Amino acid sequence: MIDARGLIKSYHDGEQEVRPLDGVDFHCDKGEFILIVGRSGSGKTTFLNVLGGLTRPTTGSVIIAGKDILALSDAECSALRSRTIGFVFQFPGLLSTLSARENVALSAEIAGITESKSASTGRALALLTRVGLKEKAGSPPSHLSGGELKRTAIARALMNSPSLILADEPTADLDVDTEREVMELFREINREGTTIIMVTHNIDLASYASRVVRMDKGKLVPVEPVP
Amino acid sequence: MLGLIARSIIHRPVRNGALILAFAFIAASLFSGHYLLAGASDSVKSEIAKLGADLIVVPANYTADSEAVLLRGEPSTFFFDDSVVPRIRNVSGVEQVEPQIFIASLTASCCSLPVQLIAIDPTQDFTIAPWLEQKREKPLGPDEIIVGSKIVAGGGTNLNFFGHSFIVAGKLDPTGTGLDTSIFLRTDDAYKMANDSKVNAVKPLVLPQGVASAVLVRVNDAAEATNVSYRIVDQVPGTRVLTSSALVTTVSDQLAGITRILDLSALVATLVSLPLIALISLMVANERRREIGVLRALGATRSLIFRLILGESVIIAAIGGIIGIGSSWIILVLFQSYISVVTRIPLSIPAPSSLISISILTFVVTVAVGGLAALYPAVRSALMEPYEAIRSGEL
Repeated sequence: MIDARGLIKSYHDGEQEVRPLDGVDFHCDKGEFILIVGRSGSGKTTFLNVLGGLTRPTTGSVIIAGKDILALSDAECSALRSRTIGFVFQFPGLLSTLSARENVALSAEIAGITESKSASTGRALALLTRVGLKEKAGSPPSHLSGGELKRTAIARALMNSPSLILADEPTADLDVDTEREVMELFREINREGTTIIMVTHNIDLASYASRVVRMDKGKLVPVEPVP
Repeated sequence: MLGLIARSIIHRPVRNGALILAFAFIAASLFSGHYLLAGASDSVKSEIAKLGADLIVVPANYTADSEAVLLRGEPSTFFFDDSVVPRIRNVSGVEQVEPQIFIASLTASCCSLPVQLIAIDPTQDFTIAPWLEQKREKPLGPDEIIVGSKIVAGGGTNLNFFGHSFIVAGKLDPTGTGLDTSIFLRTDDAYKMANDSKVNAVKPLVLPQGVASAVLVRVNDAAEATNVSYRIVDQVPGTRVLTSSALVTTVSDQLAGITRILDLSALVATLVSLPLIALISLMVANERRREIGVLRALGATRSLIFRLILGESVIIAAIGGIIGIGSSWIILVLFQSYISVVTRIPLSIPAPSSLISISILTFVVTVAVGGLAALYPAVRSALMEPYEAIRSGEL
């Protein structure tokens, strides 16, 4: 599913060279649920964004579903992002001008999935129903709680039936109950066959994952297998 | 994509409302200037066409008065010897001539101000006769008059000039020129009126025999009007020839000040607004960095982001353009007479084809200004790395 080799990301902060990624090799099979843990500034978010093609590494290669994403054109990479990858960010990332349903359906519109408006609206509604937000489908983001915003973002990530979900701290700022609800949702999605790579600083979430790796100073370090 | 742009515009009503007003001002200034020029030009051409003449020969030393009569209907009385009429008729290329006498009236019951009386000879007339034929009216009889569209008098009304009573036999269609406030009568009746004025009028009318104020000329098909006009001036000293293009130039010169101010306003508005609008577009693009980053993560291409940012500005400019063109169009039509009086320029509603081209030109320029202003922010947003946009922006 994913094969990343020799990833280095470096930039200069004044005279000093900073390396958020310092020679990362990573492999992920289809259907895995991988948790990447690490301290703030360890490079885990940068790594996730490199995997999603949202930023380019200084050197290295990333193969997703057989495609070298660094060799793709902007249009090809965008198409890969819209159809193969679903993103869930630490912040909800919903457009304030659209309702929850429209935010979810937006993914299909951007992907250029040719289906009728009613079909895409129906699918968006079905996804919102799945994440328990049927009643809030017409509400703007400003009328949703933190947990509801997160669940809407997950529904949006699922809209184009991606084979991979990249989630960056999706449970940050959530209370314990909401955090559990969101993680249960991810586990359910993973059991249906979707590969999930999640970045978090919360090691307590390890029980949901099939594998845990730690990012430390720009390098990936294996963690003991989850029992 | 259009839905997304529309929502974004509605979401920021105050800022986008102000931008729309700025574009509306640019469009209104541009549209008004070109409307006035086209309206005045069409008005003059329509007057010459209505007179049925290719050229109008007037006394050289009364050119300004002649133009005032023809363009603005400002009453005036002036003559030259009608011996010029056969000499003009003999000029090569001249097919038909019609002498007319211009007389400024005293105040009459129809009108609060003096009007222009134009005496015509029915045997040589080609100005009023075709119009009467077209309206299936009988030829102008003794003491009958035809009034311009702005003269408040219906058919059969009695009007008194210089103590002589006339009956209104018909009314001309509006022309937007001096003809609208003019009254046509027979030359014979003009002399009778002058005679009656000695007894009945407060101030007698002095109308010498054997005079004309203007000679309308039709050139034959084989001749070039401009060449004929040169020949008339050359062969008939003391005359000046007015052509429709010369009258249009006169009006354009009169309008130049106003159109220059309007064009300058549009230019200043554009020069001031362009960087301001560009800055606002840049601010909007900066504010929406995270939104742009999220859209890129969802699969939006650089091209889509470029079109979104540019499209928003272009649509705002288009709305402003439509409002500016529409409102100035309404104001110019409603206050056409007032503008004509204030500017002392004949004005009619420009021909539909002119109106459409002026509107399209104004719209295109306004939209182009909108597009130009948003070009840099759009390119910048499109080239931004999604991760960088997400990290640095707010949603």
